[in-house]
Amino acid sequence: MKKNILGKSLYTIGLTIICIIMIVPIYYLVVTTFKSPEEAALSPLGLPKALDFSNYTKALEAMDYLQALKNNLIITIVAVLLLVFFATMAAYVIARSQKKIFKVMYSIFLVGLIIPFQIAVVPLYQIISGLNLMDTHLGVILVNVFCINLPLSIFLLRGFISTVPIELEEAAFMDGCGTFKTFWVIIFPLLKPIVSTVVILNTLAIWNDFLTPLLFIQSPEKQVLLQQVYRNVGPFSTDWTSFFPMLVMSTLPLVIFYIFMQKRVIEGVVAGSVKG
Amino acid sequence: MKKKTFAFLLSLIMLVGALVGCSSESGSEETDSGSEDEVVKLRMMAYNAESTRTTYLKMLDEKLPNIDIEFEFVALDNFNNVLNAQLQAGEGPDIIEVGGEAKLLAKANYLLDLSDKDFTSKYADAGLKPYSIDGGIYATPLQSWFEGIFYNKKIFEENGVEVPKTWDELIAISKKLDENGVKPQIMGAQSWEPMMKQSIGLVNNEFYADEANSEFDNKFNEGEAKLAEAWLPAVEEWSKIIDEGILTDDMLGLSYDQALDQFATGKAAMWESGPWAVPTILEKNPDIELGMFPIPGKEEGPGWLIGGPGSALAINANSEYIDEALKVLEVTATEEAQLALVEDNAGSSFLKGVEVDLGEIYTDSEEAFKAGNVYAPWTAVWTSGNPIVQAYGKSLQEVLAGAKTVEEALQDADETNDNLRNTLN
Amino acid sequence: MYNKNRQRVFMLMILPTFIGFFILYIVPTAMSFFYSLTNWSVYNADLQFVGLDNFKMLFEDSKTLAGIKNTIIYALITLVVQNAIAIVLAVFLDKKTKSANFVKSLVFLPAVLSILVVGFLFQYIMTSADYGLLNNIVQFFGGDPVNWLGNKDIALYSVIATQVWQWSGWLMVIYIANLKSIDTALYEAAEIDGASKMSKFFKITLPLLYPAASFNILLSLINGMKVFDVILAMTQGGPGYATETIMTTLIREGFNSGRNAYASALGVVFFVAVFILSRIVIAFLNKWERKIS
Repeated sequence: MKKNILGKSLYTIGLTIICIIMIVPIYYLVVTTFKSPEEAALSPLGLPKALDFSNYTKALEAMDYLQALKNNLIITIVAVLLLVFFATMAAYVIARSQKKIFKVMYSIFLVGLIIPFQIAVVPLYQIISGLNLMDTHLGVILVNVFCINLPLSIFLLRGFISTVPIELEEAAFMDGCGTFKTFWVIIFPLLKPIVSTVVILNTLAIWNDFLTPLLFIQSPEKQVLLQQVYRNVGPFSTDWTSFFPMLVMSTLPLVIFYIFMQKRVIEGVVAGSVKG
Repeated sequence: MKKKTFAFLLSLIMLVGALVGCSSESGSEETDSGSEDEVVKLRMMAYNAESTRTTYLKMLDEKLPNIDIEFEFVALDNFNNVLNAQLQAGEGPDIIEVGGEAKLLAKANYLLDLSDKDFTSKYADAGLKPYSIDGGIYATPLQSWFEGIFYNKKIFEENGVEVPKTWDELIAISKKLDENGVKPQIMGAQSWEPMMKQSIGLVNNEFYADEANSEFDNKFNEGEAKLAEAWLPAVEEWSKIIDEGILTDDMLGLSYDQALDQFATGKAAMWESGPWAVPTILEKNPDIELGMFPIPGKEEGPGWLIGGPGSALAINANSEYIDEALKVLEVTATEEAQLALVEDNAGSSFLKGVEVDLGEIYTDSEEAFKAGNVYAPWTAVWTSGNPIVQAYGKSLQEVLAGAKTVEEALQDADETNDNLRNTLN
Repeated sequence: MYNKNRQRVFMLMILPTFIGFFILYIVPTAMSFFYSLTNWSVYNADLQFVGLDNFKMLFEDSKTLAGIKNTIIYALITLVVQNAIAIVLAVFLDKKTKSANFVKSLVFLPAVLSILVVGFLFQYIMTSADYGLLNNIVQFFGGDPVNWLGNKDIALYSVIATQVWQWSGWLMVIYIANLKSIDTALYEAAEIDGASKMSKFFKITLPLLYPAASFNILLSLINGMKVFDVILAMTQGGPGYATETIMTTLIREGFNSGRNAYASALGVVFFVAVFILSRIVIAFLNKWERKIS
């Protein structure tokens, strides 16, 4: 009995410590956005004296927020849609055909799981510029789709499709459905759980990708949020407390996404780890 | 059948892959020759932001109604990649802002030789030297940049110290400030730049001031001279500031911004930087009384600033609008244009006969300017200056951390120079 | 007949994806290998084969070697620490109570932030400026301020700490899912034998976490080898070369110095390093698998 109470209170203390470690940096980030540098230096963890949004207005302007947000949305949405489109079809073929050529392709795709594309950024730069895709959103989208996120998506989808009973398709063939149509009409709707995993994992990865836009986008009006953040540190920045709102605003969309879709996001991460 | 199609496609892809490396797309779309009074679009690619050129660009707009300049800003981080990728494809901007890499670009035949143009001779030689190679001149300079030591006049006054005339004096006043509980000098040493620049300030005083050493940089380019021998005494003199505990290793945890913040808010008396920082300092603390003095040497003298031709404009040798681009450079070589440039970014002009009044902040540096004591070897003469000073600056961080000697830092820079010469030539 | 047509449609369905992957991933990787044997540079018009010169230069350059060394240290330490913390958190929080659920979602939260943003935030928290939060806290408890990012012996570990803070939650949720699949009968049997909590953890829980661990360990290893964003935000490779990594070196040499061939050679070394390390880790995992089965 006594031991139980002790254990319980130890457990509560443990929880509290974890909470403090996780919350303090985030709390500090948020409260600092409402302070002047002097106030932040005096009481780093105190509540702000007033709810002053002037740091936010300064940051909005300096990082061209709406434009950058739009760029992020375009890149993320288009890339995720393309990924789902291409990866589901490829995974379906790999799962369903016994032909050797597709097995070979699959093993080539899997190389991308282990070897990061970063080893080849220098030649990739040549290719993107040779294809006239330098400084375009399309360039960043294609790199994100084909270079970075395709292998894992195909891997996950293939694992799932193997578990879908083939009898369903055979029935559809009997009804005169072609292979292509069968896939989109019969199979694709059944993939909803794994497609949502693929969407969630890739949304997180592509939204937070910094290296690709850094290398392939130069024009200020095409830059994504993280580039704007990066551009605003250094020699031309103003008060550091007005830099913090940039950090907040560049991550806010995903945090909101997480808060509302929490269960889905965590399920997605877990499903993404299951061995196929 | 299927196998054949596949094999065909595969070889097609290989071909694409092979071609991309050396593809040469045929120029821009608007290639029509056009009538005389048609407006020509010129691309100007630059690594200084548009805001530093506003007045100048507006002036060009008025003077040259037939030329429409498209200003493309590309941050220095990947300026070279973007530019080189375009130049290799036979494209690229018509007018290019160049810095240290001008010589490499000229060697690769990307830039137009300007040596026979009238406007080129209107500039002082010091401004053209960094862009001259093998008898050709490949760019004309914009306003200079310089860097010295900012000081807070009020703090100096309150503590009864004066602007130092020698390096020993600088150390002495730093100690006095320290005793009075004032941090003498702050430095954003998380960046490799400030220590690198300040130490070269002493090299300017002790080494480059001597005429006998004027050939050193060329020899250094060829690998015939070493920093670890030539610069060592000067840099060791500079490192006293570390030995005496004025620059401390906790500054390695400070970024440029954080150092600027400490100086602007009066927490430190001195800070090394240049005119571009002034607007930010004043924004943080409008009441600060600011001055800048040059880096003093061992002996009393006017002192030296670090700086030189900041950047310059070059013309793409493959541009379709060479005549128009030349017109832009011609207009730039006028007093009006030079003053317009200085308006947005303080510096002095290399155009002969143009005097720029820099203002009160720089009074203490006037003598150094008059004596022409502004130099930065890595931008002025060195072939691949930036990577070398980066290696040097990073090693100086290790010196400040107590892990390396000054000599080892200079050897690192020499080694980088050798490596680059071996790979790039 | 039906089958032949089906195979043709299959080819049409997969080919665009494969071509995209081929052009943007396989070709550049192959080009890296090719260029690593040349003198390719943006400033160099004529391409020549130079054999293994780039590799020789690379292994003689202490700066590049420091980057490789730091990357391996970084990857291995994050691998061990992240997974250890994630397992402890998972066991600790695998409860259905409200408070445990809240803490779970809180611990996961940093994983949705971008690495760059977390890096910048901690750069301000760990700065040696007067307002540095971490040093303020240390001093509040009577300690001496530490130069978290400016001390060459500490900086890399400071960076690692922020990434452990950010990613442990991600690994934790995967471990928790694994815990749920463990048969409770095993624990009941152990309890009858009078096993302590500790021995239950080491004898039952830990071995059976193998599926999650094998995934998480490989994930941490590969992500660790790629480290770039957080370095750029927090230390820019400094002080000196104390936190340079393979990626920061590759970007510096390949893009800023124009030594493309040298950077390609470093890419090849990177490839080999990832390959060897993942082989070692997989061998270790296989051993573990054999042990539990």
